[in-house]
Amino acid sequence: MSIVPKETIEVIAQSIGITNLLPEAALMLAPDVEYRVREIMQEAIKCMRHSKRTTLTASDVDGALNLRNVEPIYGFASGGPFRFRKAIGHRDLFYTDDREVDFKDVIEAPLPKAPLDTEIVCHWLAIEGVQPAIPENAPLEVIRAPAENKIHEQKDGPLIDIRLPVKHVLSRELQLYFQKIAELTMSKSNPALFKEALVSLASDSGLHPLVPYFTNFIADEVSRGLNDFLLLFNLMHIVRSLLRNPHIHIEPYLHQLMPSVVTCLVSRKLGNRFADNHWELRDFTANLVALICKRYGTVYTTLQSRLTKTLVNALLDPKKALTQHYGAIQGLAALGHNVVRLLILSNLEPYLRLLEPELVAEKQKNQMKSYEAWRVYGALLRAAGLCIHDRLKIFPPLPSPLPSFIHKGKGKIIKTEPHKRKLSVDSSENRSPQKRLITTDGLQSQDHTSPAPMQVDNPIENDNPPQNSVHPSSSEQASDASESESRKTKGKEAGKGRAITMKAILKQIWKDDLDSGRLLVKLHELYGERILPFIPSTEMSVFL
Amino acid sequence: MEGEQLNGIQLNEFLIGYLKKRGFNSAAKGLEEDLHHNKGSDNNVSSFTSIDYHNDPELTKLIRSFSQSEDDPTRYRECYSKLRSWAYNSLDLYKHELLRVMYPVFIHCYMDLVGKGHTQEARVFFNSFRKDHEMIHLRDLQKLEGVLAPSHLEEMEFARSLRKSKVNIKICQYSYDLLLQYLHRTESTLMLGIINEHINFQVYSGQPTSASDDIEAVTIVGSFQDTANHINQKEIQWGLLEDSLEDRLEKTGGLLSDFEKGQGESKDGDADDSKKRSTEIGKQGSSIKKLKKDKAGNATAKVARLETSTVPPAPRVKSELALPVMSTDVEQSILEDLRNRVQLSSVAMPSVSFYTFVNSHNGLNCASISHDGSLVSGGFSDSSIKIWDMAKIGQAGALQGEDDTNDPNVGPTGRRSYTLLLGHSGPVYSANFSPPGDFVLSSSADTTIRLWSTKLNSNLVCYKGHNYPVWDVQFSPFGHYFASCSHDRTARIWTMDQIQPLRIMAGHLSDVDCVQWHPNCNYIATGSSDKTVRLWDVQTGECVRIFIGHRSMVLSLAMSPDGRYMASGDEDGTIMMWDLSTARCITPLMGHNSCVWSLSYSGEGSLLASGSADCTVKLWDVTSSTKLTKAEEKNGNSNRLRSLRTFPTKSTPVQALRFSRRNLLFAAGAISKPAS
Repeated sequence: MSIVPKETIEVIAQSIGITNLLPEAALMLAPDVEYRVREIMQEAIKCMRHSKRTTLTASDVDGALNLRNVEPIYGFASGGPFRFRKAIGHRDLFYTDDREVDFKDVIEAPLPKAPLDTEIVCHWLAIEGVQPAIPENAPLEVIRAPAENKIHEQKDGPLIDIRLPVKHVLSRELQLYFQKIAELTMSKSNPALFKEALVSLASDSGLHPLVPYFTNFIADEVSRGLNDFLLLFNLMHIVRSLLRNPHIHIEPYLHQLMPSVVTCLVSRKLGNRFADNHWELRDFTANLVALICKRYGTVYTTLQSRLTKTLVNALLDPKKALTQHYGAIQGLAALGHNVVRLLILSNLEPYLRLLEPELVAEKQKNQMKSYEAWRVYGALLRAAGLCIHDRLKIFPPLPSPLPSFIHKGKGKIIKTEPHKRKLSVDSSENRSPQKRLITTDGLQSQDHTSPAPMQVDNPIENDNPPQNSVHPSSSEQASDASESESRKTKGKEAGKGRAITMKAILKQIWKDDLDSGRLLVKLHELYGERILPFIPSTEMSVFL
Repeated sequence: MEGEQLNGIQLNEFLIGYLKKRGFNSAAKGLEEDLHHNKGSDNNVSSFTSIDYHNDPELTKLIRSFSQSEDDPTRYRECYSKLRSWAYNSLDLYKHELLRVMYPVFIHCYMDLVGKGHTQEARVFFNSFRKDHEMIHLRDLQKLEGVLAPSHLEEMEFARSLRKSKVNIKICQYSYDLLLQYLHRTESTLMLGIINEHINFQVYSGQPTSASDDIEAVTIVGSFQDTANHINQKEIQWGLLEDSLEDRLEKTGGLLSDFEKGQGESKDGDADDSKKRSTEIGKQGSSIKKLKKDKAGNATAKVARLETSTVPPAPRVKSELALPVMSTDVEQSILEDLRNRVQLSSVAMPSVSFYTFVNSHNGLNCASISHDGSLVSGGFSDSSIKIWDMAKIGQAGALQGEDDTNDPNVGPTGRRSYTLLLGHSGPVYSANFSPPGDFVLSSSADTTIRLWSTKLNSNLVCYKGHNYPVWDVQFSPFGHYFASCSHDRTARIWTMDQIQPLRIMAGHLSDVDCVQWHPNCNYIATGSSDKTVRLWDVQTGECVRIFIGHRSMVLSLAMSPDGRYMASGDEDGTIMMWDLSTARCITPLMGHNSCVWSLSYSGEGSLLASGSADCTVKLWDVTSSTKLTKAEEKNGNSNRLRSLRTFPTKSTPVQALRFSRRNLLFAAGAISKPAS
């Protein structure tokens, strides 16, 4: 019947005091109510059109009621769209959220800011038929080929009827180039030539018109070829080359590119063969991601935050595969020590607790899984270690107590790489005895399996001083250092006014130092001695 | 056969009853008289007609089926869906023609059902087939959807006019035969009845026309169409005023070289057109003769002169209104502008200067730009009008703080960049500058029109006359006179010095939404929610043209500078180019996908600019689209997209456009937050 149900009519009748409305009468009224409502809406739409709007507002309806000599409905300001809420327990009953406002609150509330006054801004939308690329204008299609368009039009005379949504004219040469690159990427048979192609991609000017096609190509192939490890690797190489090319303006396409890149970082499975070293691909992609963030983070302020959000989500979801966790950790680690400190280290403890059962061989029978867990553990260690290393590095060098320590320290700054490589060689090729050692001995044996790269002196391992005492001493030392530093600068500048700022800086350094001191302690708690190689020797001396 | 058992008298009664029921009272009476006459003269010898239906079993069956199923609402649905599936399954060649029949049948089935009080069935019927017609007839369907009771049918004008009028459908002979065969074979008398009652077939022999949607193929007729046809026979003089400034400029030769170039082009372009034109001029001249007998000699002389001269751009006419005298300095400045006009064409595009309103808080109802582009006005929903002097704003950086002391624009809160005009008591729907820019007219929902002086920054006159919101007001091209249009379905002509309207133009069937003057000031055009555009004679107040073709409310109008063509833009984004003399659509310009708020012709009429709610300004090559019609006529080609350029704005719907006299295009709009 009518879209206004009988019940609505009854409710309306009750609300205006008619309690004994016959159901037949309600039925008769319903179509008329619908008709009137439609009539009013029709008038309201007219008001809307004459207000040169395309969204209907409450004031339009008021205007329509006015036209019909009906009193407008008060109390509906057209400030914003109404929020209708569902009544609980009723499927199709809605109400507007109309909260009671305390009169006192209204009176006591500070005056709202006056709205800005209307103004007119003038700009050139077009100059002799060409839109200038100024911020006031909508972004244009990157390359226009007006000349060719015109030729096209003249050739066909007045017959052109259908215009493609975006006309993008590509020269024959560029088309061939694109085809060739695509072929090379897909065929994977000629690595030497592919390398050449990458060089060309990274250096040739004039490739810009192809960027949308490449981004499209990459997005398509990544989504299609998740099982094809080599293809993915090739694609990521293309991305890197494109990013490196100074003549290419890739920002507008980043949003298209990022999903594919992130996929190659945190996908559950990359490649389908056992021999596919997807770890390497993830590492490579992590660096790529970092490169993108570094270069475009300033232009796209949301880029990094969105990326880290994705990665952290991947990391903190215990349901996700360990490979995904690995990718996420590597991605975050590549973004710098601040990211690591904020996002990984804060979650490190609970995460390691989760990871532990996987690491212990007795609990995790699946060797593959166990291996993956170790990879993740390694990645975490590296991330944390690099982070602490970087943080300690930014502080002014301490007056080193022992030159021999420094000497020793230099050799052992970052040594995880060989260690890791060794691990991967060990485990992926054959179940080596060392590997078995790891799995059986668990945590304890880790150090012994790779003694060479670690180069950590045994005495240090053995006598760990109580952590609590470490903390103040380190900070004290650091503060001494910074004070001496500040004294030095003071001496240099000899400026009176600087003293205040210096003080502020000092405070900051002090605080940072405290933080990093705590961090160090925490990491040591979690990792034991394995964190030590990351700590510069000078700090180490303090630490001990 | 059963039919033979029915005796003649019974049949006659049936027939009379049926005719009466259907409202054919006169026919019924005639038949009765006929029968009486027959009885009186000779009972045994039946008249020719009675033999016919007594002996035709088909017909008796028909009549019987009428008597049976008259009140069965489900039959509509059945019959319609049968007809529909038949039409959809027909041969591709004839399909589009047969499908055209479906829409009128559909709406009349629905209205029949509503009219008989079967609301429930009507709704079900409507909803089940609505999809078929939504593409083309969405707006009408939305209107009809609300009709649920017989009383609504009476009340709603649209429904009433549909009921009264017939639909004209062009159909080829074979399709027509197919349809008739089908209807007879299946005995779907219900459909046959509806088709007979509401559709008027224009059968033509030969192959069906191409499937493209021919606007002329389906037209609503009946009383309305007839009057439209009748009205469109009237003569109009679309020529420009004689002794206009352009003429004077030509004479002085200021534009000579450019003008000659232009003429050379036009000669190449439409050489065959020149003959036609000169005959038209002859006609124009003769009409002038008729009208102004006292000046007959003069006119003939003029015609002779015109005919001998080489291809005049357009005929000249006399103004029917007493036009204000232009002051010499204003005239000089206009002449200067005309001399400096940039010649535009499909290869020489104009520059577009865009005025963006910021912080309008969704309150900007209308914007307008003065003829020289220096003043911009905005009408707001809070009843205010604000006027910006862009020339001053341009200098503001240099002269800041110089004349703060006696500037009336300095409010208590500091310096305002605009002049605020307060006076209306409802949303302002239009604010329009006089040609020299010294006055502003505004119209509002408070039913008044107000005249403001930009020199004094105050209200001068309040014109009360309309009874409902005034949607639009426009100064005549020479100032002094202005036209307004309103929700009260009238358009009115006023002069600045009288508070009563001079003419009231009534005739539109719904709101008059926009109004525009013809360049020679003798006509105004109005666009309406009844989807038509009308042209009115200012002197007589009569409607002289009705332009039918839009599928939704007409929002904007523009007249070509030569007075020959008109462009109108509607709610759906369609722009139509009309030839004023024939009242035919030259070409629809498709491209916008939302309301066309504003249209403007370039100074010499070669380009049309359109501004739309889809945040674009489009430029159309109008010369080629008018030229194309000839080609189209020749080879039946219906390609007609002539969009030259599209300038997207960031997210600003384009509310106003104006080509300055020097052919710089000004556009204005309020920036809107992009849809989230």
